[in-house]
Amino acid sequence: MSEKTKKDFSNHYLNPYFGGVLLGFVLILTFYITGRGLGASGAAKSTVVTTINSVAPGYAKESHYVSQFISDDEHPMNNWLVFEVLGVFAGAFLSGILYGRLKPKVEHSPKITSRKRLIVALIGGALFGFGSQVARGCTSGAALSGMAVLSFGGIITMMGIFGSAFLFSYIFRKNWI
Amino acid sequence: MKEELFISGRDIPNIDPFLNIWHWQIPIYLYLGGLAAGILFFAGIFTILGKEKEMSTTVKWAPFLVPGALVIGLLMLFLDLKHQLFFWRLYTTVRFESPMSWGAWVLMFITPLSFIYAATYLKEAVPSWKWKYSILESAERIAIQYRRALAWVLIVLAVILGIYTGILLSAFNARPLWNNSILGPLFLVSGLSTGTAVIMWMTKDHRERKIMSRIDLVLIIIELFFITHMIMGMLAGSSVQIAAAELFLGGQFTVSFWVFVIILGLVFPAVLEILELAGYKIPVAIPALLILFGGLVFRFIMVEAGQITRYLY
Repeated sequence: MSEKTKKDFSNHYLNPYFGGVLLGFVLILTFYITGRGLGASGAAKSTVVTTINSVAPGYAKESHYVSQFISDDEHPMNNWLVFEVLGVFAGAFLSGILYGRLKPKVEHSPKITSRKRLIVALIGGALFGFGSQVARGCTSGAALSGMAVLSFGGIITMMGIFGSAFLFSYIFRKNWI
Repeated sequence: MKEELFISGRDIPNIDPFLNIWHWQIPIYLYLGGLAAGILFFAGIFTILGKEKEMSTTVKWAPFLVPGALVIGLLMLFLDLKHQLFFWRLYTTVRFESPMSWGAWVLMFITPLSFIYAATYLKEAVPSWKWKYSILESAERIAIQYRRALAWVLIVLAVILGIYTGILLSAFNARPLWNNSILGPLFLVSGLSTGTAVIMWMTKDHRERKIMSRIDLVLIIIELFFITHMIMGMLAGSSVQIAAAELFLGGQFTVSFWVFVIILGLVFPAVLEILELAGYKIPVAIPALLILFGGLVFRFIMVEAGQITRYLY
């Protein structure tokens, strides 16, 4: 395919409902292949645990939270979620190439600057990371995978995440529209 | 460790049951040696084909990295030695049956020649460059005059160097994972592939990148074939070889080998290169980095895993 004849797909996104159905199939496949559900915050947690364990092993051993993920037999990065996230990177990269969207950019509302968007996203991400550890999982690990196996915790997490999202989106809407 | 005090064939610290003498220096050296061999090989080939202009990065600019890679690699070898002040003893003898002797002598020739080769293009890279002594000026003139002859010598030496990085391991007959004859060609092809990755990454010329990308694609396919061949050969062998192969097929190196070497280091960059040849825009740094990283991980895994395989249980 030459570049001239190629269609411009850069603003062409999948129907979100169809995307949701596809995600469901991915989840079924994941359960079938790995015996576990999907997750994302777990990979971030493993990275944080590994960093703490390398920089301050003494603290990592004493900390009640960090120490539960460290054992002599297995490296904290040797975790299915870490590899899954690597795969997500690779897949997203391929999708970006195929749809001609592969370029560095910060998406934000025209009313705010890239800088503000990044700072707000960092704060939001940190809060979500903390919340996901309190809730024992994030949107993928607790809500998506949890609800797929009819876990009550998954349903509560889902309601917590989306309920508070509705609430806070009203307060912070000026960052977007 | 006092080698002179061994009284038993078994239970020798750091040797039996597990070898524990080669650490991070060796894979880094094998990697840099293979990379240097790869760059020099293609520089030589395209010099002989007379493509200095069309393939300027391959012929002229990438070889500037080689002396550095070789010197750092030699430093790694030196760091690994236990009796470092006796390294010169390798050069008091020539042993055709010893891969270390081959390696020592090849490096003895290829390292200074790589300096000379790079020096012949120094004035093109830095136009204001002037040699301090007139003897260097005339030496440069002679070297430029015999550049093609130099290219032939470098190609031969690069192939020996690339194969030797694998033979160094496969000559260890006490370690079943290493002791197979495919390892030499496999390391050569992997080294050539990392060399093309560096050239692809450096060049700004689209045509040159496309040529190197195609060559790299072929090398990746050959490499995958060799790896399959190696594992199949081991699985068809005796139980110690099967045990060695199982380190990659469910054993402790399974995930790192398949994820970082096969998928992210070979298959995924190959897919990206195919997409690029099909006309999609891809930042070349991504496949190049993945190939370079995969090659490095491959050497770490082979050195690490080979040391824990054994014949006696």
